[in-house]
Amino acid sequence: MPKNRGEIMSKRILRIDMTKLEAKFEDLPADFVALGGRALTSTIVAREVDPLCHPLGPNNKLVFAPGLVTGTKAPTSGRISVGAKSPLTGGIKEANAGTNFSQKLGRMRIAAIVVEGKHTGNDYYLLKVTMDGAEFVNAAKWLNKGLYEVYKDLFKEFGNKVGISGVGIASEIMGAASGICFNDPEGLPSRYAGRGGLGAVMASKGLKFIVVDETGAPGVEILNQEAFDMGVRKLTNALTTHDVTKPGGALNSFGTAVLVNIINEAGGLPQRNFSSGQDDRSEKVSGEVKADEIKKRGGQRPHFCSPGCVIQCSEVWTKPGGKDPVGVLEYESVWALGPNCSIYDLDIIGELNRKCNDLGLDTIETGDLLAVAMEGGLTEFGNGKGALKLMDEIKNKTPTGRILANGTAYVGKAFGVTRVPVVKGQSLPAYDPRAIKGIGVTYATTPMGADHTAGYAIATEIMGVGGTADPRDTKKADLSRNLQIATAAVDATGYCLFIAFAILDIPEGLEGVVDTLNGVLGTSLTVDDVPGYGKSIIDTERAFNKAAGFTEKHDRLPEFFLKEPIAPHNDVFGVTDEELDRVWGE
Amino acid sequence: MTILVKFFGDLRKKIEGFDVKNSLPLNLDIDSDGINTIADILNKYAIEKEETGHLFVNGTYSGFKKKVKDGDRVGLFPNNMKLLYKWYFTKHEDE
Repeated sequence: MPKNRGEIMSKRILRIDMTKLEAKFEDLPADFVALGGRALTSTIVAREVDPLCHPLGPNNKLVFAPGLVTGTKAPTSGRISVGAKSPLTGGIKEANAGTNFSQKLGRMRIAAIVVEGKHTGNDYYLLKVTMDGAEFVNAAKWLNKGLYEVYKDLFKEFGNKVGISGVGIASEIMGAASGICFNDPEGLPSRYAGRGGLGAVMASKGLKFIVVDETGAPGVEILNQEAFDMGVRKLTNALTTHDVTKPGGALNSFGTAVLVNIINEAGGLPQRNFSSGQDDRSEKVSGEVKADEIKKRGGQRPHFCSPGCVIQCSEVWTKPGGKDPVGVLEYESVWALGPNCSIYDLDIIGELNRKCNDLGLDTIETGDLLAVAMEGGLTEFGNGKGALKLMDEIKNKTPTGRILANGTAYVGKAFGVTRVPVVKGQSLPAYDPRAIKGIGVTYATTPMGADHTAGYAIATEIMGVGGTADPRDTKKADLSRNLQIATAAVDATGYCLFIAFAILDIPEGLEGVVDTLNGVLGTSLTVDDVPGYGKSIIDTERAFNKAAGFTEKHDRLPEFFLKEPIAPHNDVFGVTDEELDRVWGE
Repeated sequence: MTILVKFFGDLRKKIEGFDVKNSLPLNLDIDSDGINTIADILNKYAIEKEETGHLFVNGTYSGFKKKVKDGDRVGLFPNNMKLLYKWYFTKHEDE
């Protein structure tokens, strides 16, 4: 039974021992109270996991943590962080997603679920979490099945009001390209903490699903209601008036894929396994075309990933006639499975995205590994049917499928490809670092491996340190460091990174974020406290990676970005090693 | 001698006689006579600056004063499609 502190229930950690199949609640240690999301997952992993352990062995731990304000009425704050040592990078990992699963944990005052040990038999388990505790259910009947079918079954069995987290077939073969899946509001298995192979970590422990039932949950404790309410007002105001985040703004109207045409026009949309930065066939798979098609087909747009989001960039893509709903087709997914594979057909991209969701695969890693497989001769660039067949190799757990499921770097080695776009083993997202150098510096130096979300937040102006913003200027260390620090702080709150657009331009919006944190925590933080908080998270993560064997030599882009110029700018990356080392150096 | 101008989204509605039927950009090869900057192109089609979002000349993120010449490719996005990592981009202008 949960412990109560007087009438107020304290925040708790739910610790799951998969070796003994035991679950217990612990009080959240006092020094963890101001930690949420990525701050909490990275702190627990750093304290409790041996950096030299095998990521798929009994000594790794998998941590789920909602953000600090997640589960409250704070707008656009439904993110969950998942952390562990990554089987893809060999370093610390945090991946996050927007889902009501996270909000339920927040309202149940579960600050984290820590999954440890390893079940020794061949069974898989489903963990059902309620206010009273957790129960293990044998999950054998859901093995070898696609997640679309399984999530339907699970909602039927446990009721429509639960939240579900799970891993798919790609995780059953320990694929390092596998992610952790969460449900969207329609119950579709479409919201992923995708990156870094965390799905394989969950499956390695014998855990297949977590089902959360929040019946009887007391809600998030708010220590200063007045500050909290003021913060919600300020932030909501900023989000609903800013051009990018307001109703009818770019994200709401077109979704994240509005970036397809923009980045193609900037010459930074990688094509054909990072061999060009522009191809006008990409216009056929833009966010605008997609939004039109969704309307014609009877899908949904706009749509939210979790209740309480005022931006609503999500959607439900379907086949013609409204059949086979997929969920959202994000910019990164459209690019990875589309232009990066020379595929310029939204129906094929939608089908590939559906297979990723069904098998439990990260769409970015999958698009990158398919492009490398195409370069390695497994099928031709642009061959959508060939790509779909490769996905079936994973589904059927064939030897080829096992190679593919292990990610881009692994596929490159298996098939003798040298143009392999990875940093620390994790594949690059949809911005070519030769055209947009600042994000290249972030790809190289974030503790996460190549990750576009690691440096996507509040501007240099707010962080108070300089840094030029010319995309082709090579002096980017200050810019990248500040963005990474600010992002780490946002990742702890549970707010979606897209609030950054509004809180950058509207100072009251940023104040609102800090006010809501003060409301929940009963603190008196100011905007000036944000950088120190973010930096401490990165320091924790870098210390883990150092102990795992990482040096500055791992903070580099692959050789071809330095040697092969890319059209249309005909430029190479060009940022010096000294500049990269300056990001975290003295 | 011409400049390729790509009009995205709602900016296509500003082109007289163009019937917006789908969501593909409108590509026009315009005569470069009398066109020196992006602002000149906007004037030609009576597009207000506030109606625009991101502007590109040959892949370079640009401001209204950016010079354009024969053979250039110009991309014009409307205000409701602004979604750049603005921290990685700065506007290029010519005085």
